[in-house]
Amino acid sequence: MQRREFLQTSILASTLLFVPKILHALDRGPGLARLADAPGARRLIVVQLGGGNDGLNTVIPYQNDLYYKARPTLGIKESEGILALDKGLGFHPALKGFKSLYDQGYLAVLNGVGYPNPDRSHFRSMDIWQTGSGSDQNLSTGWLGRYLDSGAPGCQNPYNALEVDDTLSLAMKGTQRKGLAFKNPDKLHQLTQNRLLSKVSRETGSDHHHAQVDYLYQTLAETASSADYLYNKSKVYKSAVTYPQSEFGKNLKTTAELINSGVESRVYYVALNGFDTHVRQHEQQQKLFTDLGDGLAALADDLQKNGQWANTLVLVFSEFGRRVGQNASNGTDHGTANPVFLIGGSLQQKGILNDAPDLANLDQGDLRHQVDFRGIYATVLKDWLGADDTSILGTDFERMRGLV
Amino acid sequence: MDTTQQLQHLYWRAGFGPRPQDVAAGLSPRKALRQLLRDSAQFEPLDAPSMHFEDPLGAVMAVPPGGPMPAKNPVSTSMVTTPDQAPATMSGSPAEAAPPAPVAALPARQPYRMGPGGVPRLRRADLTPEQRKMQNQGLREAFINISTAWMDRMATSPAQLREKMTLFWHGHFACRVRLPGPALSLHNTTRKYALGKFPDLLLAVSQEPAMLEFLNNRQNHKGHANENFAREVMELFTLGRGNYSEQDVKEAARAFTGWSYDAQGNFKFRPQDHDEGPKTFLGRTGNLRGEDVLAIILEQPAAATFLTTKLYRFFVNDTPDPARIAPLADAFRKSGYDIQDLMERMFSTDWFYDPANVGTHLKSPVELLAGIRRTLGVQLDNELPLLGYQRALGQVLFEPPNVAGWPGGRNWIDSSSLLLRLQIPAILFKNADFAVALKQDENDIAPNLTRADRTVKPTAGAHLPLGPLQQLLGATPAPAQPARLSEFLLQTPIRPENLALVQQAAAQNPVPAEALRNTLISLMSLPEYQLS
Repeated sequence: MQRREFLQTSILASTLLFVPKILHALDRGPGLARLADAPGARRLIVVQLGGGNDGLNTVIPYQNDLYYKARPTLGIKESEGILALDKGLGFHPALKGFKSLYDQGYLAVLNGVGYPNPDRSHFRSMDIWQTGSGSDQNLSTGWLGRYLDSGAPGCQNPYNALEVDDTLSLAMKGTQRKGLAFKNPDKLHQLTQNRLLSKVSRETGSDHHHAQVDYLYQTLAETASSADYLYNKSKVYKSAVTYPQSEFGKNLKTTAELINSGVESRVYYVALNGFDTHVRQHEQQQKLFTDLGDGLAALADDLQKNGQWANTLVLVFSEFGRRVGQNASNGTDHGTANPVFLIGGSLQQKGILNDAPDLANLDQGDLRHQVDFRGIYATVLKDWLGADDTSILGTDFERMRGLV
Repeated sequence: MDTTQQLQHLYWRAGFGPRPQDVAAGLSPRKALRQLLRDSAQFEPLDAPSMHFEDPLGAVMAVPPGGPMPAKNPVSTSMVTTPDQAPATMSGSPAEAAPPAPVAALPARQPYRMGPGGVPRLRRADLTPEQRKMQNQGLREAFINISTAWMDRMATSPAQLREKMTLFWHGHFACRVRLPGPALSLHNTTRKYALGKFPDLLLAVSQEPAMLEFLNNRQNHKGHANENFAREVMELFTLGRGNYSEQDVKEAARAFTGWSYDAQGNFKFRPQDHDEGPKTFLGRTGNLRGEDVLAIILEQPAAATFLTTKLYRFFVNDTPDPARIAPLADAFRKSGYDIQDLMERMFSTDWFYDPANVGTHLKSPVELLAGIRRTLGVQLDNELPLLGYQRALGQVLFEPPNVAGWPGGRNWIDSSSLLLRLQIPAILFKNADFAVALKQDENDIAPNLTRADRTVKPTAGAHLPLGPLQQLLGATPAPAQPARLSEFLLQTPIRPENLALVQQAAAQNPVPAEALRNTLISLMSLPEYQLS
């Protein structure tokens, strides 16, 4: 049997017939696929740099001798084409895309972002960033998942938070609501497609014994209707902008096409991996930064052309930075604080927002953090998305006033 | 609820599901439970040369100098998912939040350290990228071999309850380290005491190098405490939040100073690094050591309640029922925390078989995959894809998300994971030969078929013996087979409309074996199959 044929006749698709009526009514009703405050609703795109990006070679303190002392061969010299910014800092030569965003006033740099008692394990530190926990807490929901849970306007459906990947990150999992992960709308649609879907299902009772069954059917129904919605919507716009020929470039293009098609999603999540540069950091960062900078510059261009840039904010983070001193293999080992980038068409404050990391005051060879990342989350949640940051983060973190 | 349903419920909860022959044997649930306990009595360590990694290049497990204040190892660890750039030390856990030090300079690194037998060994940080890659490959393979061997046991071992308990403790004492040796050692410790006395289990686990490393007890020094282990042992392993104070954490951390391990991976108490001063912990004062702290913890009624609640949620229902938990916790404590006694009580209650507790457990990815293999007797030519599914579905053995383990329940289910779960049976059982054709004399569906027509075809090296299923179906006529198989495969009653769908799928193919294959795949593709 051909795969295609199988999918069309698959029981998986057929079971969608039997989603209890009440769920269908909720799910397929008219007008539900509409943000409460659309159009012009603000959206957030999170870009995760996996592996621990070396922030000191990203935003380079090229006027600081201590930087070159700590990195005799890994330090990047001005003559290599550092893209000068402000406060004695400059972008890595490969970050031309970032420099152009910076020049247009679309980019802000927050130096030295981290959290107390930093953890140097990839998976644990990523967990901390994705859940928005302290290093002494273990949370099983993500910060964006809890945003979905919070009942903020326009978060009623899985497609209100989309991850361009095959599996869903913890960041996007709430208790009640979870985002939707997919590589492209067509593939997702094909999995859930069935010509009988529109047939009315038989009513089934819902006592507590079947609560779990109902939960599964409801998730399935939401998935199917989200897949429907995304498939139909995404046909509206195909991008003509040139993105990097890479997985990351393709994922950003998908993101822009969804946005420009009018998909009403509040959150997008995209990852770029490979930043664990213990060896041969130069070559790796060169490639990754070209991808990152060019990709986000293309996205900005794409969204601008379609009038979607002013209500978009991009947050770029990594689970930790690297140690100040280079290692013996022309690389760097796991460190602590790191810059975070905010990119968007409506930034209130732009450029370098705070002091460069203090290289004269290290903690055992590591940077001390100046900004708690949860303060940035709070700012984004409250000031950008209009959500209740305190309940989502569990604590009241100091926000950066007038930033977004 | 009839006896068969009760029996299936017991096999799903106390193990990885019933086999057709288990159901056909028709034991009473009580007898079946006794049988399960008997079959799980033996402890057999999981071990084979392929599960170990002998590094030809150098030690990767940091061994501190003998002094009480070892230099902080600046190098940390890597995700197992990107191991080819992994740095040193065995742990998947971080270097500690260091004691305050006036000096910011890195300590000078010695090029060699002494390995076992006084042989100097290269440090990992000094390996070439190629050497690292080779090393990581070796580490990865060892972990794959451990995982697949354990998955085999879940699917095939008669010691079903011990396997299930070991999986429970694997999530309870969640730990993630880089080296397979210490991970396997911890695994075998939990396997050994899985049905024993909890105080023995707790002490043994606490003294496993993997755990000491993961929770930073090697950075817990006299005068410079690291509270990680002390905190987690109370918050996650024994008492739960709210049953101890921050002061108790501080005092307990002092008691655990000096708990370390040697180059051979054996627990080692280092008296010179132990804080000998008096401590006051949970109201008790004295020169307490780690062992004392663990003993004092287990004197608290809260410990029995916490542990029993967690077991209830795993084995009975995700929503705890304090009225049912309280007497069990009481008996658990009175028995000296006898785990087997507690499980036997739990599985012997009337309410264990209450319909509200049947078919309400969302299978974890490991339970789902092991369950498919066990209940259908599936033989696999290649087990690697299973590890891939585990990863995609969010549960990789030996890689818990953090020290709190896998949250479980509805946390397993999101749009993408549900779609994949629903497709797994089709992925597994499409377009490949069944190893076993129906025997002529067992095939009372249509006895005159050729052998080819009696051969059912699933996929890619997944072989499904049909004999046991035939035994289960007995003389059930073909039209009634979907219903009979649904009772075996699903723990909730099948909806009539779903049954009609399954019957349609079966009827699409006139060849009985193909019809049976369609029936199985259809039933396992229903959302209800995600529940046990």
